[in-house]
Amino acid sequence: MSSAPPSAAQPDAPGPAVTAVTREAKRLRRQRRLRRRAAGALALLMGLIGAGLLAAALTPTPQVATAQEDQAALIREGKQLYDTSCVTCHGINLQGVQDRGPSLIGVGEAAVYFQVSTGRMPAARNEAQAERKDPKFDAGQTDALGAYIQANGGGPTVVRDENGEVAQSSLRGDDVARGSELFRLNCASCHNFTGKGGALSSGKYAPPLGLANEQQIYTAMLTGPQNMPKFSDRQLTPEEKRDIVAYLMEATETRAPGGYGLGGFGPATEGLAIWVIGIVAVVAAAIWVGAKA
Amino acid sequence: MSGDAPKKDHTDDELDAMSRDDLVKLGTELDGVDVAFRRNRWPVEGTRAEKRAERNVAFWFALSGVAGLAFILIYLFWPWEYAGVDDDGYGKYSIATPLYGLTLGLAILALGIGAVQIAKKFVPEEVSIQDRHDGGSAEVDRRTTVALLDDALDTSTLPRRKMIIRTAGFGLGAIGVGTLFASIGGLIVNPWAKGDKSPLWVSGWTPNYPGETIYIRRDTGRPHDIVLVRPEDLDAGSMETVFPFREAERGDDEALFKALRGVRNAVMLIRLRTEDTAKVVKRQNQESFNYGDYFAYSKICTHLGCPTSLYEQQSNRILCPCHQSQFDVLQWCKPLFGPAARALPQLPITVNEEGFLVANGDFIEPLGPAFWERRS
Repeated sequence: MSSAPPSAAQPDAPGPAVTAVTREAKRLRRQRRLRRRAAGALALLMGLIGAGLLAAALTPTPQVATAQEDQAALIREGKQLYDTSCVTCHGINLQGVQDRGPSLIGVGEAAVYFQVSTGRMPAARNEAQAERKDPKFDAGQTDALGAYIQANGGGPTVVRDENGEVAQSSLRGDDVARGSELFRLNCASCHNFTGKGGALSSGKYAPPLGLANEQQIYTAMLTGPQNMPKFSDRQLTPEEKRDIVAYLMEATETRAPGGYGLGGFGPATEGLAIWVIGIVAVVAAAIWVGAKA
Repeated sequence: MSGDAPKKDHTDDELDAMSRDDLVKLGTELDGVDVAFRRNRWPVEGTRAEKRAERNVAFWFALSGVAGLAFILIYLFWPWEYAGVDDDGYGKYSIATPLYGLTLGLAILALGIGAVQIAKKFVPEEVSIQDRHDGGSAEVDRRTTVALLDDALDTSTLPRRKMIIRTAGFGLGAIGVGTLFASIGGLIVNPWAKGDKSPLWVSGWTPNYPGETIYIRRDTGRPHDIVLVRPEDLDAGSMETVFPFREAERGDDEALFKALRGVRNAVMLIRLRTEDTAKVVKRQNQESFNYGDYFAYSKICTHLGCPTSLYEQQSNRILCPCHQSQFDVLQWCKPLFGPAARALPQLPITVNEEGFLVANGDFIEPLGPAFWERRS
């Protein structure tokens, strides 16, 4: 752009006024061209969407046979995964192997979801306490394994949303206060009242629940992994389980009220912190006050 | 102090004639203090270093003022009302308490640092030595004090007025014993006032009359819901904390709530896997206490009364979180490890004709920790 100011500043000068007019015309032309192109693109987009909607409307709904085929394919994939990663300990017919792994008959898709999605299975070694680690299988593979176990052993299933996805945030109940009451009654003795975990006998421990998602908490209650007791739907109704999930998620997502929770264990860590950090700070301050300037 | 003692008696005229420095010197000498070394920190006024030191102290006080002001403003205007994780304003709410602490703490800390800095940077550097006197007062002081006290007692004529002495002792004694009663009297109760029905012998599971049906009830988090337990409710490898319910309490909200919160009412209802039930060793006289795979044990630890509900469904052990006592469910909950010396008492259970799990009589031993009067 030239350094000349806008023509409106000097209406008497003829030269700049003429160039201003031609410039204005050019600008208008450019604008029209742009508008034409945009309109074209928009029309094309509308056409495509319309065609898509029409195609969706006209396509016949998939028949049951097709769906079953999908399920069968899922189960086939699950069997493949099972035969490579699980069969050594759980046996060729899910019956379990003596001194290696338990039977999977009746554990259901819910147990598979919990164990596989938290990385506990496949286990690193044969021991009482399988630890949470990065999951070895992705969500699709977990689904496939679950479908295979469910088809062959039966048992409790994963809760799914209407669209077939594994339910997560929809598992949070409405009554957080009741959830906290039930959590303290049923869960807090092992997992600590804010879900920080705790010690069990002979070196075993109840894990902290901060990393668990809603479905993992729900399926853990349903299936009782490892040393955790089971909580059937007749003992803790699904509604009660959802309230517990709501409380636990709230408790793990809420920031510590004092700024830093020190592990949430209460007086033990807090006392240690104040003795170690506080007393050292006070001693240092006393030395500084007494030191010669 | 070395040399001659300072003159102690000064006339008013003499004092008037003394300068401030003289008075300071006299004061330290009277206290037996010898200023061995004293140096003004800034012999030359107005140097850049002195200015810097002054600004340093002023900085801390100003910081204290700013932080204190910030505390007042935050206290008055920062949103402190509770907001949940998903609510608007949660972030602001969650840092309200840390902000109070940070601002007020900083204000106090900066004030303290400023005060110490004044002493370090402006108060003259000084080494003072004070005389340390030999222990004990002078003989003349001791004798005169004793004589004074004796004289005060005798001239009051109290030693020969026995009635006053005794009544005063009576009054003081009564007040003393009275305060003792007020402070520890509440701790003295007769735990056996009710004989066989005394609180330590009974629990919510003790029938009020022979043959009373006491149902097993679950806590649903709503104290007035009455949800009774059926044998199909628990999966194998489950544990549930249950409480007593009697028909007489239906509709009585207070009694229902008390049954849930009673100190020795909590019972662990455990459903073993059938293959584990086969391994169970039953205690003598308790062979019929279980109902199939269902076993009910008191949740109150026999050591110090903690709730022992850490049930491990694979190892079939119950762990007490307070002192790590372990009980073996497969062997009548006898202690395997830890300080607990007695097995957890077992509640006899059965199923009534309506299909509900019910207590089949009371516990056969007292619940909870030991006490002198129990014989087992």
